[in-house]
Amino acid sequence: MYHTSFYLRRLHSLVGLLVLGVVIFEHIFTNSMAMGGAAALNGALAMMELIPRPVFLAIEVCGIAVPLLFHGIYGIYIALQANTNARHYGYSRNWQFTLQRATAWYLVAFLIWHVGYLRVFTKGVTGTPISYELLQNLFTSSPITTVLYIIGMFAAIFHFTNGITTFCMTWGIAKGPRCQKVINFLSMCLCVVLCLITLAFMASYFVM
Amino acid sequence: MAEQKMVRFIIERQDGPKDKPYEQQFDVPYRPGLNVVAALMEIQKNPVTVDGKRVPPVVWECNCLEKVCGACMMVINGKARQACCSLVDKLDQPIHLAPARTFPVIRDLLIDRSVMFESLKRIHGWVEVDGTWEVKDAPIQNPYTAQTAYEISHCMTCGCCLEACPNVGPQSDFIGPAPTVQAYLFNLHPLGKFDAPTRLNALMEKGGITSCGNSQNCVEVCPKNIKLTTYLAQLNRDVNKQALRNIFDH
Repeated sequence: MYHTSFYLRRLHSLVGLLVLGVVIFEHIFTNSMAMGGAAALNGALAMMELIPRPVFLAIEVCGIAVPLLFHGIYGIYIALQANTNARHYGYSRNWQFTLQRATAWYLVAFLIWHVGYLRVFTKGVTGTPISYELLQNLFTSSPITTVLYIIGMFAAIFHFTNGITTFCMTWGIAKGPRCQKVINFLSMCLCVVLCLITLAFMASYFVM
Repeated sequence: MAEQKMVRFIIERQDGPKDKPYEQQFDVPYRPGLNVVAALMEIQKNPVTVDGKRVPPVVWECNCLEKVCGACMMVINGKARQACCSLVDKLDQPIHLAPARTFPVIRDLLIDRSVMFESLKRIHGWVEVDGTWEVKDAPIQNPYTAQTAYEISHCMTCGCCLEACPNVGPQSDFIGPAPTVQAYLFNLHPLGKFDAPTRLNALMEKGGITSCGNSQNCVEVCPKNIKLTTYLAQLNRDVNKQALRNIFDH
């Protein structure tokens, strides 16, 4: 009678688009500073350090950790409800549906590694601040890490931009097929743009 | 005389609900305009496999033979559709037939679709006409929504959309696109709309509209061309409004 799964599902949608969407944009924005060289990225990172420690930690916990854990854990439950069938029903939206779940699984593994290694271990345990030099060393020393990170970013970007389309459907914003098509097209354009930006700032570690 | 052209059918069979599925191949004499139901009738007349073995005839369900009743829905070449309007001329050969395994299989291509009837009961898929109130003349349909209501009323509960939906199946409790969208039909009805909150609340239950994952296969496979995704989006809108009412009226 309390419609628990309804509210959880809607919260999952809201958190994904509004909270984790901001996290993705923040990541792309800050990381794209790498294109301006070491000073630019380190400057951007230093600016974040200006936020008082307890406030920063509160933002990290309430704005990233809790939403991400909820979206991830409830998302696993949602993904398990699907029996993907794009092999038989190869329509473009069905492929997007399948990719949405495939990227989700990749992101679960990738984010455990990414957050666990960079935030919890490097920054938290060893106390090493994240810097341009640290990231450059991380990527240039191992091409596998670079590839896994690029796939991770692409997965997150697709999952987010496809999420914009499904958000508009789930909330009844885009009702008609033409409106849904236009929104899908625009979000896939955004997907391509963000992926290209990602490639550009990842490449900058190798050319400079 | 020219040699008789044959059409090869590869049929996924199953002797009982708990038995293991197996495949058998049959050749059916080709004739112009042959459809899958007519071919199954030929197999019934002469149930001999390509190996020359006489086997029990293939069991399937059909009724109207004109894409109105929905009974002959099965998986033809990997896609859910009505067997009666699947013309052999338009299908890749050999033709693969399989039961729609989203539903419990009774035997061969015969499935039990009663789950959809249960779902229709769940969403209050009817109009209350009898009660303690005075019955007057029937109210007129809203002429602006009558076309939409007519379109949704074409739904024949065949189950194509449930079979194609990746979120319907034993792994999930989703009632599926067809029963969900029927709620909108009855919400449009001049008398049915009195029970709209009941239907919307039913859709908010576990396995209701929130289990939709927007793969949009339903609208692609619907044999009656019902704009299912459009009405699902409309119902999402209505359900969200109902949720706000539930919260703030409480």
